[in-house]
Amino acid sequence: MKREQPQSFNTISVKERLIIPRQVMPEQDPLLRSGNFLEVNLGLSAEQAVIEAQRCIECKSPSCMDGCPVSIKIPDFIQLICNKDFLGAADKIKEDSSLPAVCGRVCPQETQCEEVCVVGKRFEPVAIGRLERFVADYAMLHSNGSPVTPDKPQPSGQKVAIVGSGPAGLAAASDLIKEGHEVTVFEALHEFGGVLVYGIPEFRLPKKILRQEVANLEAMGVKFVKNFIVGRSMTIQELMEEEGYDAMFLGLGAGLPRFMNIPGENLNGVYSANEFLTRSNLMRAYEFPEWDTPLYRAKHAIIVGGGNTAMDAVRTAKRLGAEEASIVYRRSEEEMPARNEEIHHAKEEGVKFMNLVNPIEFIGDEQGSVVAAKCLRMKLGEPDESGRRRPVPMEGSEFTMDIDMVVIAVGNGSNPLISQTTPAIKTNKWGNIIADEDGRTSMEGVFAGGDIVSGGATVILAMGAGRKSAIAINEYLKTKVWSVV
Amino acid sequence: MSLKQQIDSMNMNEIVDLCIDQEQQAIHLYTMARDQAKDEHAAIKFQELVDMETAHKVALQKFELENYLDLPPADLKVTDYLMEPVFNENLSTQEILILAAKREDKTAKMYQDLANHFTSDKKLNTFFQMMADEELRHKHNLETEYEKEFLQEG
Ligand SMILES: Cc1cc2nc3c(=O)[nH]c(=O)nc-3n(C[C@H](O)[C@H](O)[C@H](O)COP(=O)(O)OP(=O)(O)OC[C@H]3O[C@@H](n4cnc5c(N)ncnc54)[C@H](O)[C@@H]3O)c2cc1C
Repeated sequence: MKREQPQSFNTISVKERLIIPRQVMPEQDPLLRSGNFLEVNLGLSAEQAVIEAQRCIECKSPSCMDGCPVSIKIPDFIQLICNKDFLGAADKIKEDSSLPAVCGRVCPQETQCEEVCVVGKRFEPVAIGRLERFVADYAMLHSNGSPVTPDKPQPSGQKVAIVGSGPAGLAAASDLIKEGHEVTVFEALHEFGGVLVYGIPEFRLPKKILRQEVANLEAMGVKFVKNFIVGRSMTIQELMEEEGYDAMFLGLGAGLPRFMNIPGENLNGVYSANEFLTRSNLMRAYEFPEWDTPLYRAKHAIIVGGGNTAMDAVRTAKRLGAEEASIVYRRSEEEMPARNEEIHHAKEEGVKFMNLVNPIEFIGDEQGSVVAAKCLRMKLGEPDESGRRRPVPMEGSEFTMDIDMVVIAVGNGSNPLISQTTPAIKTNKWGNIIADEDGRTSMEGVFAGGDIVSGGATVILAMGAGRKSAIAINEYLKTKVWSVV
Repeated sequence: MSLKQQIDSMNMNEIVDLCIDQEQQAIHLYTMARDQAKDEHAAIKFQELVDMETAHKVALQKFELENYLDLPPADLKVTDYLMEPVFNENLSTQEILILAAKREDKTAKMYQDLANHFTSDKKLNTFFQMMADEELRHKHNLETEYEKEFLQEG
């Protein structure tokens, strides 16, 4: 279907637009911010946002939308910004994304919408992510703190349970409540938001954004139940049969930390990224002693890995007072899966990068605390399936370094609790739930999406999966027709 | 008598039989593990290993070794420094991959050792070299799978 070109509000010629420089987003000073947990990026001003929006050249076939996993109508919202209709722009984004203030902050735009932006072929791409963040923040601020609640729909008389309050669960809840269903979100932890609250630190994504999103959903009628572990507090069958849920969405995430299986991983001072970040983010270790969660202030903390999780952990370690905080990564910087911005910020904050290095053993003292890491130097070999060059150990390159804290951030798997307590839900060999593209699982009425299906991925993909399932759940509740997975 | 001395006194058929026996031991071990595994996916993984070793055994029985003439891919050494899990019924897929890769590594080293020992006997040297390379190929495949799933670095 041909897309209708949005109304243009840009009065500047294309030639002139191309010479406007990409607007720089103000940031906290690196020296200052490496000692606090306040947000690093400070957001564009309204003036900057309009100038940045004017850089869009209004392509006839805009590739930016193809680069967005949920096809946000980017050209349309950018034109609304040119017209200073910021609330209109926010509404336009909301048509396709439930969490723009989150995605504007954490999406890897450089490998999505901005990577394919036509302006970016010769100049710097339009800062789509920063514009998204600007309008989302503007809308939050100008709703005067009171949640934006659409008119209440006719009750459908049907009950839907959402398990997990990460982006997949929240997106599904948001779309399902608008259809008049009774929606309850069950969350194992004591805060809602999934990785967005327990994983991604305050300095990258302030928790108040999630709290506002949850408050909006509550105002729309979504019920939230915390400290409730489905599979332990109650099983899926019990919820369906005894509590009368007609359908269920599982957005359980991939929260099971993976370890390296090298000697010394059980020493004191060796954490999984999951535990380390949860202690800091959710149990407020960074506000110790006001909050009673101690986290060791290291002399030299090493974080093993090269993804967003590793960057979040290393920057957290630095903020918690580590004298030296280093990334230890098997490959080179080019292969790092972390967002460029996070790598750049980490470097500015004084994080040391030890690339092409792989720990092979952690050594402890008599008390069982880690005191050193034995490592190997690596070199890059042939590319693997993903196209990244493979690291291979260099003969005789072994060395030992003094450290007193380790955070392992090599990836996460899925928690086996649901597959163990509900065998009717089929999983693959890695423990991910098997679901069709609308999220239908092998158990009637039960849908799943986000990281629990795809394995560790991104916020926007999880959100997109939640929305897709919401459509399918709605259809199922109307027809009660179930196609077997 | 050491393995090398034993082989010195064997003819080619007996040597091949010895290697078949090695493969059979692996098949036996993985079959037992498959039957004991509590997790359905662990059982599937063990079955894959049984299939891999059976294919190797059949090739040896038929003496169809042409497929093994290609040079092995680089040794990734991904699992070399990892702790070897002890066989039990609750092994995870991650542990099974480590265990199997380490086993292939040990067998490859044994064949390589034999190849090095029999440098003056061209036929024996080539045979053991091919066996060693094949075991390294298995190790490579297992480590590739391990790397893809357990070292995502996300
Ligand atoms: C540290 C870190 C940084 C990241 N940074 C980025 C980034 O910058 N950009 C990006 O796009 N992506 C990033 N990601 C990935 C992204 O956060 C995830 O892909 C996304 O959150 C997945 O969403 P989800 O809804 O599927 O699951 P999650 O966000 O994991 O939420 C799942 C929720 O379900 C709950 N739950 C699990 N089991 C049960 C149960 N049995 N009963 C009740 N509740 C249960 C969990 O407690 C959790 O709250 C990052 C991930 C991590 C760990």
